[in-house]
Amino acid sequence: MPKIVLKILILVVLFLGTWFVLEQVNWMKIFKVKKLTDETEQKLGQLFLKIFTERETMIVDKSVISVVNDIQQKICTANNINSSDIIVHVVEKNEVNAFAIPGGHIIVYSGLLKEAKNASAFSGVLAHEMAHQELNHVMKKLVKEVGLSVLLSLATGSGGSELATQVAQILSSSAFDRKLEKEADMKAVQYLEKAKINAADLADFLYGVAEKESEITAYLIWASTHPDSKQRAQYILDKIKTSSIQYRSPVTEERWKSLQSSLED
Amino acid sequence: MIQIKSFAYEPGEHESEKASNSYLMSLIAVMVGLPLPIINLIATFIFYLGNRKGTYFVRWHCTQALLSQFSLLFINSFGFWWTVSIFFTEEQISNRYIAYMLAVILFNLTELIATIYTAIQTRKGKHIEWWLYADITSLLCKP
Repeated sequence: MPKIVLKILILVVLFLGTWFVLEQVNWMKIFKVKKLTDETEQKLGQLFLKIFTERETMIVDKSVISVVNDIQQKICTANNINSSDIIVHVVEKNEVNAFAIPGGHIIVYSGLLKEAKNASAFSGVLAHEMAHQELNHVMKKLVKEVGLSVLLSLATGSGGSELATQVAQILSSSAFDRKLEKEADMKAVQYLEKAKINAADLADFLYGVAEKESEITAYLIWASTHPDSKQRAQYILDKIKTSSIQYRSPVTEERWKSLQSSLED
Repeated sequence: MIQIKSFAYEPGEHESEKASNSYLMSLIAVMVGLPLPIINLIATFIFYLGNRKGTYFVRWHCTQALLSQFSLLFINSFGFWWTVSIFFTEEQISNRYIAYMLAVILFNLTELIATIYTAIQTRKGKHIEWWLYADITSLLCKP
């Protein structure tokens, strides 16, 4: 009997040892896994972007786009993020919303730009969406919500337009889970601090959103996957309370006001 | 790892055929049941049940074929559920996962070659003992 136990142990060690030795090889590089997943993400990004551009009106006004791009550039430069990896699109829609889609695309509704009190508040929202992109939350969320098989069928063009529209709807109207939202908030604060942008303006923006939330939503908030806006504002303020950075607005107040008046026209 | 040994008696033609079939059964099950590892074990177990009252030589080899499926069941099941979690949850393909699956393929391939060899030799009436599994089989299977 001890001989059998010893042999079983040897077999277990043999398997684990084989696994360990094989793990030393960079299979991800050999099988080009990253390249393949990046390509899939790009294809999905193009597909969803096409859906949004077909259904909504994209804003191409230079006075709006240049301000948005300058803010994005500022955050990217301060955080060593390749600015060409993130593409911000502004959609004409009164809803206060912004979301990330695969392939580094971020969709911002004009309603959000109008609602943001200043450029720093918008920078906070943008930094939050950029954090979702950089932390690969978008693909994680999609795989969790619809499964890898559905995503692969969409990327290869065999998923059908109805399915693609439904998945696009998920991206624009549902939040990430609580853990990922908090992770993105913390990363966003880090981005803002490095860019010398005051994250307190993001907290103020979230307080504003919280005040506008209907009473029903407030009651349901405990069951929601999205963290309570007030709670988010609080932990953002807690994170920066010891900061001694001299904050600056990412763009001048005039440019921000000009952007908002362009959107009102 | 695999040794030809002398059995307690010289098995007859009919016995050799049945004993060899127990390995063939696990081979067919491997092909059918690759996505669901439990199928291999169930198939071999059904064959074992059908022959548990057979002659000593047949019983011995049915038991060895059944036991050889157990270790694969664990590693294949783990690999199967890991793959499922990659397709349906937020779990992602990693170097660790690829290394695990390659180790699984390596062990399955070794078992497959050993099974084919044993099926051929057993058909000729030769008694093949597998490392570890033969010891457990001898414990469980008495004349």
